[in-house]
Formats: sequence, C-alpha cells, structure tokens
Amino acid sequence: MARSPLRIFFATGSWAILAFLVLPILVVIPVSLTDTAFIGLPKDHLSLQHFDTFLHSPKWLWATWTSVWIGAIVAAASTALGTAFCIGCWFLSDRAAMIARWVMIVPILVPPVVQSLGFYKFWVTLGLIDTHFGVILAHTLLALPYVTISVFAALTNLDRRIPQAARNLGAPLGMAIRTVILPSIRPGMFTGAIFAFIVSFDEIVGVLFITVRQVETLPKMIWEGIQESIDPVIAAVATILVLMTLLVTAATVARSYMSSKPKLT
Amino acid sequence: MPDPILSVRKAVKTYGAFHALNDVDLDIREGEFLTLLGPSGSGKTTLLSVIAGFTPLTSGSVHARGGDISRLPPEKRGFAMVFQGYALFPTMTVAENVAYPLRVRQWKRQDISDRVAECLDLVQMAQFADRMPSQLSGGQQQRIALARSLSFKPDILLLDEPLSALDKKLRADLQWELKALHDRLGVTFVYVTHDQEEALSMSDRIVILNDGQIQQQGAPDDLYNWPRTEFVASFLGKSNFINSVVLKGADGTLKAQAGGHEFPIEDHNGTAVSGETCLALRPERIRLGAPGAEMFEGRVRQISYLGERCQVLVDHAEFGEILVSHPTWHVDIRPEPHLNVSFGWERGACVPLLSA
Repeated sequence: MARSPLRIFFATGSWAILAFLVLPILVVIPVSLTDTAFIGLPKDHLSLQHFDTFLHSPKWLWATWTSVWIGAIVAAASTALGTAFCIGCWFLSDRAAMIARWVMIVPILVPPVVQSLGFYKFWVTLGLIDTHFGVILAHTLLALPYVTISVFAALTNLDRRIPQAARNLGAPLGMAIRTVILPSIRPGMFTGAIFAFIVSFDEIVGVLFITVRQVETLPKMIWEGIQESIDPVIAAVATILVLMTLLVTAATVARSYMSSKPKLT
Repeated sequence: MPDPILSVRKAVKTYGAFHALNDVDLDIREGEFLTLLGPSGSGKTTLLSVIAGFTPLTSGSVHARGGDISRLPPEKRGFAMVFQGYALFPTMTVAENVAYPLRVRQWKRQDISDRVAECLDLVQMAQFADRMPSQLSGGQQQRIALARSLSFKPDILLLDEPLSALDKKLRADLQWELKALHDRLGVTFVYVTHDQEEALSMSDRIVILNDGQIQQQGAPDDLYNWPRTEFVASFLGKSNFINSVVLKGADGTLKAQAGGHEFPIEDHNGTAVSGETCLALRPERIRLGAPGAEMFEGRVRQISYLGERCQVLVDHAEFGEILVSHPTWHVDIRPEPHLNVSFGWERGACVPLLSA
C-alpha cells in the first residue's frame, strides 16, 4: 500500500497524541523505582525501597483501606439508589421523570469546588464534618449521576412488554422488578457500581473540604505527602494503582473477548 | 346463550381529546376464538390491554365470573397474554421462561418440570429447553411465548398480533397450528390482528373495530357476506360500491335501480331503506360474459394475473370502475384489455349498506 505523506502525517500525529496521553501516567513507574530519597529518576540502581515503605507504613495502609471500604459502600449505596430511581423514571416515562433525570445529572455539571463548598456549609450544620459517614454521603451524591446514566442506558434497551409479561403471568410489581428487570439491567448496574467506586476512590476536593484529621483517604494522603515532602513513596502508590488498573482492564477485555466468541452448542 | 366468560361494558378510554375506545360493549363466550380486527389506531390493542389490566379505563367496566375486575391488577386476573414481539425473558432459558408463571404460583419443583415438559411438547419445542431466547428464530420464540402463557392453564388467552413479525409462509403454518391448539385445549382465545385473512381463517367470531367503536360482529362468513357498513365491506375483503335507489315492492321484496336496470336484492341485516342506498358487491360474485350475455355492458381496462384467479378492472359508463375477480380456468371468456364485455350477478350478491 502506498504511503502518502498525508497518511504518514496522520499516523505520526495519532501516535504522538497516544504517547502524550499515556506517558505522564507511565512516568511514575521509573520514578517509583528510584534509589534516592526524593522524587526523580533512579540514579545508581533500581530500588523497591519505596514499595517496602508503603507496605510497612500503617498510615499509608490505613488510608488505602479507608478509601477502599468507603468506595465499596458508596458503590453499593449509589447503585441501589440510582437503580431504584431509574426504574421509577422508566415506568413513569413522562415529563416529570425526564426533568428528574436532568436534575440528577446536575452534580456532574457543577464545578467540584462549588459543590464541595456546599457540602462544607451543609455538613457543618448537620455535624457531619470529619466523619466517615459525611464522606460516604457526599461521595454517594457525587456518584449517583454516573450510576443513573449507566443504568438508564441499560433500561432503554429493555422491552417495555417484558415487565408487562411478568405481571400478566402472575408476578406482582415488586417480583417482576426483582426477577425480570434487575437481571436484564445487571451489566448497566455493574458498570455504574464501578464508576461509583472510582468516583469515590479518586475524590479529593470534597474530602479536603469536609475532613480534618479523623478521616484520611488515599488521595488526601498523596496530596498531603506532596505538600509536606517529596517522598517517592507517592510514586510507588501511583505505580500500584496504575498496575491494578491495567490488570482490571485486561481482565475485562479478556472476558468480553471470550463472551463475544461464538459458543459451541 | 350461556353466561359470557368476560364482558366489557360501556368502555371509554381517552388520551387527551383522542378516543381510543368509545363506548365499547363486548361479551366473550367461553371457549370461543374471538378476533378483534381493525386498522391501526382502531382501538383493538387498547381493548386487549384493558382486558389484560395494563390500561385503566376512563369510564366503563370489565366483568369476569360475575364480578367487576376493572380495578384488579394484571397479575390477579389470570388471563395469559402472548405479546407482539413475544416479550420472552432474555436472561432465562426457554425452560425457565415456561416455568416462570408456575414458579410465581409456587408450584412444587417436580410439578413444574412435568408441566414445562408437557407445554414444550405441546408446541414441539422440547429439544430447545436449555437454549436462550436469543438463540431461537422468530417462529420458535413465538412457540415458546405460547407455551409460557399456556403453562398455568389460564381461562383466557389474549394474543396481540402474535404472527405479525413472521414471514408469510410461516404465518400460514402457525395459523393452522393455533387453530388446532384452540380446538384441542378449549381455552378461550381473544386474538388481535389487522390482517383480515388471518381473522377470517381462524375465528369463530370476529369483532371489527374502527375509531374506537365496534362496527360489526359475527361469524366470519356472515361478516364477509353481509357487511353492514361501507367500512366493513371494504376492510374485510374487497368490495365494489354501487349507488342505487331501493324500492320496496307491495309483497315486501326489495328491488334496486342502478345503471338503467332493476334487479332484486336481499336485506339480510335489516339495513335497507327505501331511497338512495349504497350497495356493496364482492368482486368474485360478478360474472363476466360476452357482450350482450349479461345485464351490464363494459370495457376491460386492466388485468392483473394472480394464478388461480385474475383481477379485472372493467369500466362502466355509470358505475365507473368495477373490480371483478375472475377465475382463470373453466371460463367462457378470457378477458383482455380493451375487450368489450358484459357483466352481471345473481340475486343476493348486492348487499345494501347503512347510509353513512
């Protein structure tokens, strides 16, 4: 195939953009292997000492664990609430339901700083400042729009006659939802839950506004670490997160590849 | 007549200013194959949905077994429905789909598996029990939907255009099968369709709806032979319409004057009134003959050959265009374009219609 200059130009451009997207993420890997005590590339040899520090620091481990369990609760809570909301809207399918869905998206549109300020003012009144519950509540509110988008997308593909068929065959409404609707939209709920977990795990602005000393999440630790020192352990944490993301992505891709292959019957 | 298994009384359903159902009264007899026939927007699907309990009436009521069930939710009515597009549960296997109504009714495990096997046999789908619905063809999904709705032994089976998504050949096969199934099971079928051939071939009784109102109901041959209105005459089969003047003789016999001739007509429906009346005339009841052989003279304009018959358009000076369905064998005359012909019909072929 002839390689026209235009083709070469676009190919190079694409690779350059791809590199620009990926390299800043991957640069943490060599930095995390540094043998120095500050953030920079390895000087004399590669070292795992900063991974060692991370794995033996109660402070870091505790913050990681806090982020994981808060993320898990947020994922569960926002998926449950978001799914209930979506099924209700789907059944109504009127003007009010459409408006409600738009209102639900608003948290994505509002700048995080503005929202966090709101949380701060409100959480002070409620006495939720610097509590785990306060963080879970804030994160659930932030994650809900993502869940509703993903679950509603799954619902729009569902034939309206399917719950009707279930009821016609003798299932009361609640049973029809449990046995017929939920299994059909499970992929959408799963995606929503993953998004919710990531939103919570990654969230920093709100946490900085509404926590003081009691609640330490991983993003907050990283941010504080950068503030007070230039400890390469941050790079080690980042490397672990990048590797975990790659693993999960690879597993997901492999799974969808396997299920897309025709089954032998 | 025995008590109806289901009655609809003065049913009205409005969506804003639109009347989907406008004062519908309907009795369904136990064990019959009843077809609701009408063009789209006629209210036939709304009526089925009202019976199933998905659509609340604006006014009026639905009665079954002597009680008013208008406010009963769909799951408590016990009527099974076969949906357009089948609405099989995509996350369940064929066997799980058929078992669903039994599981909901908390049947014993063994009873469920026996009944599922029985129902899959009934529709000849036993070998597909472990497939997912998405792995089946349209016709197969249709059979599973049927098995699922019959599995809990409902009194009434509601079918919403169940064959409309299938190709013509398969549709014809399934029409025979549905009819045979109805005869075998004795379950009351309420069948919604817009396809008049389907309605004619399967039903014990047809109810023709238009604009949310019942136009006429009766046995297929009664409706076909004796339409009361221009709508029924043209929707159920094809008709020619002839403007005539009807005269009542001293002995009660009726005569119609049209095209410069006078011929006897029969008034089966009691619709004839003296004076200007529109007559409906089926294309296949018109005889074609050589010029002079029949009552009216015309000229062939166009022919469409259909195999066992051909459709002939004949121009007549007064009636305008007359459609004739003419056999292609055992006939005295082979029509060709621009041929002069004569045409006529026997007594009873012309049906007087209600004046609009």
